[in-house]
Amino acid sequence: MAETLVGSKTLLDIRDLKMYFPLTRGIVLQRVIGYVRAVDGISFTIEQGQTLGLVGESGSGKTTIGRTIVRLYKPTEGQIIFDNQDLAQMGGEHLREIRRRVQMVFQDPFASLNPRFTIGSLIAEPMHIYNIGSSSEIREKTSELLSVVGLRPEYINRYPHEFSGGQRQRIAVARALSINPEFIVLDEPVSALDVSVRAQVLNLLQRLQNQFNLTYLFVSHDLSVVRHVADRIAVMYLGRIVELADRDELYAAPKHPYTQALLSSIPIPDPQIEKRRHRIILSGDLPSSINIPSGCRFHTRCPMAQQICREVDPIFERKEGREHYAACHFSEEVRPV
Amino acid sequence: MDISERLNVPSTGEEIEPFLEVTPQLVQQRRSQGRIIFDRFIRNRAAIVGAIFLILLFLFCFVGPLVTTHNQPDQIHVTDVAQTLAGPSWQFPFGTDDTGRDMMARAMAGGQVSLLIALISMFMAVIVGVSIGAFAGFYGGIIDTLLMRFTDVILSVPLYLLLFVLSASFTDGSPKSVILLISFFGWQYAARLVRGEFLSLREREYVLAARTIGAKGFRIMFRHILPNAAGPIIVNATLLIGVNIILESVMSYFGFGIKPPNSSWGTLVSDGQGFFDVDPLLLMVPALLIFFTVLSVNLVGDGLRDALDPYMTER
Repeated sequence: MAETLVGSKTLLDIRDLKMYFPLTRGIVLQRVIGYVRAVDGISFTIEQGQTLGLVGESGSGKTTIGRTIVRLYKPTEGQIIFDNQDLAQMGGEHLREIRRRVQMVFQDPFASLNPRFTIGSLIAEPMHIYNIGSSSEIREKTSELLSVVGLRPEYINRYPHEFSGGQRQRIAVARALSINPEFIVLDEPVSALDVSVRAQVLNLLQRLQNQFNLTYLFVSHDLSVVRHVADRIAVMYLGRIVELADRDELYAAPKHPYTQALLSSIPIPDPQIEKRRHRIILSGDLPSSINIPSGCRFHTRCPMAQQICREVDPIFERKEGREHYAACHFSEEVRPV
Repeated sequence: MDISERLNVPSTGEEIEPFLEVTPQLVQQRRSQGRIIFDRFIRNRAAIVGAIFLILLFLFCFVGPLVTTHNQPDQIHVTDVAQTLAGPSWQFPFGTDDTGRDMMARAMAGGQVSLLIALISMFMAVIVGVSIGAFAGFYGGIIDTLLMRFTDVILSVPLYLLLFVLSASFTDGSPKSVILLISFFGWQYAARLVRGEFLSLREREYVLAARTIGAKGFRIMFRHILPNAAGPIIVNATLLIGVNIILESVMSYFGFGIKPPNSSWGTLVSDGQGFFDVDPLLLMVPALLIFFTVLSVNLVGDGLRDALDPYMTER
């Protein structure tokens, strides 16, 4: 803990990351007829012990970023620098060693736990793979992990289908923790859960972060959840980050019309205010990431779009405020919600 | 909950704990997966009839010769020509054949050969098919194309034609050679099936999760994916037993399979057909045994298909 208090150390540094998925046609001789540009040139850093919230609508590429960082995909271009090592081009044994320090929790706890494994063997498996300790030590650690995430150690021999969604997600967290990672990608960890158990899991995640000095990338589409957990927030639109700022600043003074629209969509639990406030409703759908619009990607739906937006792609640059970045020609004109 | 309390955990999940012990429905959930499958299987009456028949058949063929006196299939029991081709009697329940051998002993011995051939070639075909399908489905790309086109090529050749041609040069009439030949023609459907399962399962989140914890190809294939594909494989294997029994019988019937001194149900049918008008029992006994065995195997296979429903719904 002392480390983080003294100075901030950049744990993860993403530089100009691109992840294109080829579209092919033909059965025997496959021709590439285009690319899905899921992630299209993204840069950000995460400091040790911090949480970066990554928000965006479906199809904006946020899950792809998470999966590329843990190297489920091999990035098309760019660097993923984790603790001064570039993961992007790494392979084989080297990658396996690094993966031990970078773990992931998936969105759907009903799909991410193998139904044929008991939860004990699920949690113990990473330790077996990395040969941490003897069988009895692993068993001991497994029951310890179960109690750390608030489940009874006696459950060790039960199967995932015997647990509720929240419990399963806690099992997934225990599994990710079992090999003492430093960095965890949380891919919408609570969006598949009932609202009533979301807080449980979120609080657990925060407690573990403090306890083990973890660094999180928290992917979500739910702004209220991100506000609860993140230190900094990156807003994604169509494969790019359009705005990146500290949490409170982003909510108080957005510099991008997309962020502004997102913020205005958060429901306020007070019918009086809800009735009076001005909501920005975006028309249309997210454009296809195969044919990305020219100029600013957001101009097709932007309420403030001008001629320049159709022609010139705005630079993702530093704006007014503390470490506040945005990609918009008219960021000064964006009003807080 | 000591550790968690020290860490100031909200005692999550604990409030629902007592219900687990008292709610019958939840107690029922404590059944293991194997138990659930078994319970579902025994509720299928047709499958149970098939299973019981198969068990009795195995006892008949493998234990029968040990506990009854019908254990000398090649012994000529009656030399009097008037006594050969006899009908059922207390001494010879299935009668005797044209040379005065005990038909019951011959049915048992033939059954041993037929069942062993069917079972062993099933196992070999499933092992080969699962390996080929697993590699093709898991690695995809060029490996998939090569393996699956090879499979298609074998499937596209008329089965019996190739079987007869090959058996003329590659088998010597012993069970071992017939097993090899039959298993060579059994693995293709298993390979296709397993490939399809692997193609869909490898994109599941729990397989991605296994990758993120550093699992290598073999571990993912055989520990994470294969158990989840077990249902269709088991069903396919069961049905393959029936197919193999038929294949063996057809080959032996046409004289390409088992040859004397060995005998199987197929050779018994072949031997018996010449005496159909004199003693239909010689033909009917092995033919009915084949018929009921294949029927039972298929009933059991269908029952397993239902019982191994991958959704694991509680029924």
